[in-house]
Amino acid sequence: MRVLKIHPEKCTGCLRCELACSYMQTGDYQPAKSVIRVSPFEGHTSYAPYTCTQCDEAWCMTACPVGAITINAVGAKDVVDDRCVGCKAFKCNLCGGAPACAEACPTAAITYEDVETADWLGDFARERTARVLAEVR
Amino acid sequence: MARRHLIIGGGTAGMNAIRTIREEETERSTITLVSAEKPYSRMVLPYYLDRSIAESHVFTATARVLADWGVTTQMGKRATALDTKANVCTLDDGTTVEYDDCVIATGSSAVRAPVPGADGPGVHSFWTLDQARGVLAQIQPGSHVVMVGAGFIAFTILNSILSLGAKLTIVEVAPRILPRMIDDAGAGLVQAWLEQNGVAVRPGAKLTRIDDAKGRRRLKMAAGGDLVADIVIMATGIRTNLDWLKGSDVKINQGVVVDDHLRSSVPNVYAAGDVAEGRDLISQTNAVHAIEPTAQEHGRIVGANMAGKDVRYRGSLIINIVEVCHLDVASFGAWDDAKAETASGVKADRPAYRKLLWRGDRLTGAIILGPSSDIWTTNDVGMLKGLVQSGVSLGAWKAHLKKNPFDIKPAFIATKTTGSLLPETILGRPSKAPGESPVAV
Repeated sequence: MRVLKIHPEKCTGCLRCELACSYMQTGDYQPAKSVIRVSPFEGHTSYAPYTCTQCDEAWCMTACPVGAITINAVGAKDVVDDRCVGCKAFKCNLCGGAPACAEACPTAAITYEDVETADWLGDFARERTARVLAEVR
Repeated sequence: MARRHLIIGGGTAGMNAIRTIREEETERSTITLVSAEKPYSRMVLPYYLDRSIAESHVFTATARVLADWGVTTQMGKRATALDTKANVCTLDDGTTVEYDDCVIATGSSAVRAPVPGADGPGVHSFWTLDQARGVLAQIQPGSHVVMVGAGFIAFTILNSILSLGAKLTIVEVAPRILPRMIDDAGAGLVQAWLEQNGVAVRPGAKLTRIDDAKGRRRLKMAAGGDLVADIVIMATGIRTNLDWLKGSDVKINQGVVVDDHLRSSVPNVYAAGDVAEGRDLISQTNAVHAIEPTAQEHGRIVGANMAGKDVRYRGSLIINIVEVCHLDVASFGAWDDAKAETASGVKADRPAYRKLLWRGDRLTGAIILGPSSDIWTTNDVGMLKGLVQSGVSLGAWKAHLKKNPFDIKPAFIATKTTGSLLPETILGRPSKAPGESPVAV
């Protein structure tokens, strides 16, 4: 399965992924409506985007009492709007196989690849938050 | 391997068990479902009450779907006895069903406050579809609804009542609202929020009786200040439906005591959902959770084990999430652990609140509330659940969170919680989409 691979060291924090995502998913250019979100690290000197990892357990899918979250043709957990009755879940569906975030990223910090999904940000975040933590101690 | 499976109860636990049996079995077995009601989801009844969905949308499996799944149904009947030596279940119409293994998933029922008049006209419970129909038939724009009890169940329907144009008063005998879901500080913020949104809230108020008042209901309160209501909804707790098992060999404490495979004291009898007293993920002791996520996971574990797999359950996490008047309120795990180390932060004007609880450097419980429109509230709800569920070692992030209880995201990411959660699957394999299963054999 192809997944969104995040290369945090390449992210410049430009937020084009959030704009592209919100436009593709909702028709509005509004980062608040994006399902990929860029986080700042080290006082806004480095950044990394984070989105659904399309995990195997798929807690969202198993939790839905009416089966409104399913697996779409490209393997993403996807909300079926006409089966959704209430909580109006909204999540990354890999844009049906052409993820707008990856296309919009000018530095290839988000790529769409046939790899195992993984914790793409953990090591990066650990390194970039070391100074913040040192100050707490 | 068991060839004849009996599912007693058509709620979340029972339906998940059926689906998982069909997903996991290597040879086609026979499945019989005994269910007093047509299977539906209690979780969506609030949307039925506010008329945003038709009644037909509450059902989780129609007769046609059950037939496609190869399930023999005993619908509209209740189990009355279980003979665990003969492996026979007796139903209320005298029918007997033989089984090789079975799951007790008979759920729970609403209980009313034990006061005179509690069973009178105009007094409702809101737990089953039938009870939801009863409330829906009576509620009108301008109706005065008095909700007795301010727990989770009550809160799931507050929005629906308000959206129907009814006036709402909540009375709660405990000194605060949501007494089994959030702490004092959180409850105070939620109460103020509700009052700002036009809901009258009276904690510490004891109801003594309900009388007729020219066709309306008069609620007599111990400390005075009687209320007159068009509709009374009793959300005063639930009890497990286990009376029918009296005299059987199945060991019952608060619920049916189950092991880490969800087997009862009788090895070919499982229990799942609200009736099961199974392992709690955080305390690792047995407890009755009676919440939807536990019923769903229980059902899947039982289904896999009934299908001949050997699946151990890690235990279930207490999860309470509700939204009232666009305020998200949630708690996870051991949120009321008096022996835990705690930190909290409040922004009363938003309002927003976080309470974090630790044992050692692991987050074992959390309370969060904040406006639904705040992206960081929604994100933090998910991340707090992940931190409590994974039990990752927070190390130096513990001190950071103690000083900055709102700064959850960097702690979640840098402690590699995602990496810890990714390999976690309940059944030891990727979940299947609802449409893909059960697979026809």
